[in-house]
Amino acid sequence: MKVKQITVNDSERLLRLQECLKQSGNRLGFVTSIDGKQLATLILKTSSGEAELWLTPMESRRYHSLTPHIPQAHWQERTLWDMFNLIPEGHPRLKHNLLHESYKESFFPLLPDALENTESANRTYSSMKVSGSGIYEIPVGPIHAGIIEPGHFHFSCLGEIVYNLEIRLGYLHRGIEKRMTETPWKKLRFVAEAAASDSAVAYSLANVSALESVSAVAVPSRALYLRSLALEIERVAMHISDLGGLAGDVGYLGVASALSRLRGVALGMGELLSGSRLMRGFLCVGGVLYDPDNRLAEIQKSAKDLQDKLAAPLRSMLSNQVAIDRFTAVGRVSRRLAEDFGLTGPAGRASELVYDARQFFAHGAYPQVKPYIAAQSEGDILSRTKVRMGEIDSSLRLIQKFIDELPAGKVFEEPPEQLEKNSVGVAVVEAHRGELIHLVFTDDNGAIKRYAIKDPSVNNWTALAIAVRNNLLADFPLCNKSFSLSYGGHDL
Amino acid sequence: MLKMLSYLLSVGVVTVKDLPSVLPEETRAMPVLTENPCVAPECNICESVCPTNAIVRDSDADTVTLDLGACINCSLCIVGCPSKTIASDKNFISVVNRDDLLFTTAKSKKTVAPNAVQAEKNIFRKSIACRVVSTGCSACDLELSACTNPIFDIERFGASIVASPRFADVLLVTGPVPKAMHEALRSCYMAMSEPRKVVAVGSCACSGGIHRDGYAEANGVANILPVDLFIPGCPPHPWAIIDGLRKLMSLTP
Repeated sequence: MKVKQITVNDSERLLRLQECLKQSGNRLGFVTSIDGKQLATLILKTSSGEAELWLTPMESRRYHSLTPHIPQAHWQERTLWDMFNLIPEGHPRLKHNLLHESYKESFFPLLPDALENTESANRTYSSMKVSGSGIYEIPVGPIHAGIIEPGHFHFSCLGEIVYNLEIRLGYLHRGIEKRMTETPWKKLRFVAEAAASDSAVAYSLANVSALESVSAVAVPSRALYLRSLALEIERVAMHISDLGGLAGDVGYLGVASALSRLRGVALGMGELLSGSRLMRGFLCVGGVLYDPDNRLAEIQKSAKDLQDKLAAPLRSMLSNQVAIDRFTAVGRVSRRLAEDFGLTGPAGRASELVYDARQFFAHGAYPQVKPYIAAQSEGDILSRTKVRMGEIDSSLRLIQKFIDELPAGKVFEEPPEQLEKNSVGVAVVEAHRGELIHLVFTDDNGAIKRYAIKDPSVNNWTALAIAVRNNLLADFPLCNKSFSLSYGGHDL
Repeated sequence: MLKMLSYLLSVGVVTVKDLPSVLPEETRAMPVLTENPCVAPECNICESVCPTNAIVRDSDADTVTLDLGACINCSLCIVGCPSKTIASDKNFISVVNRDDLLFTTAKSKKTVAPNAVQAEKNIFRKSIACRVVSTGCSACDLELSACTNPIFDIERFGASIVASPRFADVLLVTGPVPKAMHEALRSCYMAMSEPRKVVAVGSCACSGGIHRDGYAEANGVANILPVDLFIPGCPPHPWAIIDGLRKLMSLTP
């Protein structure tokens, strides 16, 4: 979608933002910059399905931090320092986020004239120190025991209780946002998908939607439906995988094994649709790669079968006393905390934040098609589990509905060679983890001068660190799994 | 408990008994160069559509060079090639030498060197304990996890996934290994006892894939560690991973 651009000076930015977020339906989308000469603050308005971009010209490298009053800006302001050398005055715990000690202090990769001065010192990092009698610390990672992406968890414990958890990410920082400005725009979807492949469809959908909003191309409605179809298949597959992980973490291996098998059914649907189990490379600017017409009936049958086959293991999980005991009242996120941290996706909906980008923002066949939104109120692991189960059911119904109601016609419309000049496009997609935002800025020649990505995990990681406080150390893996956050999507 | 048992019994055995020798019909496969002559210099489709610059056309020598180590099997070159010089190849591929992933139209036949280790001398024939280190987008991790599920069930061949490098024989690395993971990967390797093997799983691990030559120095595993086997693909299909690991164990030629 297109965004309304407004200039907001640094002196009034915080107050105006606080006012704006008080109105129901307004969300803080993204805090970033284009080339270090300004701050770009994206506001999402669910009431109208539109977005506003506040541009704050920067006279110096310093600006007033939002974090003391709007905690969800915490990590985004740290990233702004990493990438653009913009320093938030008054940030309570300013340190590097994405770029580690292996990078030089003088290197800010997204500044237009970024150069690494080899003489300058390396970056530094220090964890928060928790001290006192009986406090001990457990460092975990970046390499973990299972097959999982890298990240570092620094626990400060008192007895078996987690007093503080500091999460350090950035190990997967591959320079995706920079690469997005170096690649021809029609190939960008491949780079976007490679940011976080467990959300490959969501990433490519956000990418093509953002690009289509700055290029005059009318995507055929059949393609829009097929995109949504792919998005829902991905949601089903990943939710099943997360539920299986939860079952495995409480030692309920029968269910874990059944769900890992049934996830294969969902991936098989993706493979039928697109030729790739993770549906890589299926979406493209202007539509989708090809029409999977002759396989739709089989996908529909698979969805129906999967719905029946999931019933037994999921019911069994919720009727197992050990599972219920481990899930209940653990890793709680109150509604207040969820709002402060801008929690999104199933984690938000488990804490009464009934927000789903599919209801409000145009992507795929949404928001014309209204999905059923599963929500819970307790904010604990059980609530997040139930939300996922509800969403699997809702998505499997949607898949069947999409195939039933698929409009006829072509699936691809050739886009123009050039993007619109000096334009801003934004896409908000409900990935299986929640709200995924892609922002694209073009220059005088229609080339992409900045491509910014905000994964749903950015907000949720900070909330996880708070949610595990005062919980048992042994419950951390379960808490972590119930949020199921992306390292790659955060680190970019 | 009893209900769960009866449920599992009712489902029965789901493991695929016969190992497929090629990828499933619906899977988008990697490209291969055929003997059909290329119509270059008029045509430049394959080189221009490739997202990772895995195809380089040399108009002077009239050849096309295809680097499967960088290919992300998007299939655009296969669909676009007017002379059918590039076709889809359902065969599994894994190689010991990185150069064996490079193909040119001049020598289009696959001349992949057989496994360098003699089967009878391979001490990893009976079993391998694998440690997975992920440094990428998680696609290959998902497919590696899938290898352990009841459908693919890699453990029946003696390959297991273990939780520490201390008791691992094989280091499976996924992803392009960006700068912040260089040190962690090195220390993981150093923690393994010898003899040990390193396998690069996926095109990012083989070459850096779509991330190569960026400021994050994410150029693949071989820049950090000696690699014993390359399994390209984006991500490689679980059957392709299983085939590669069986090759490492000298269970397949």
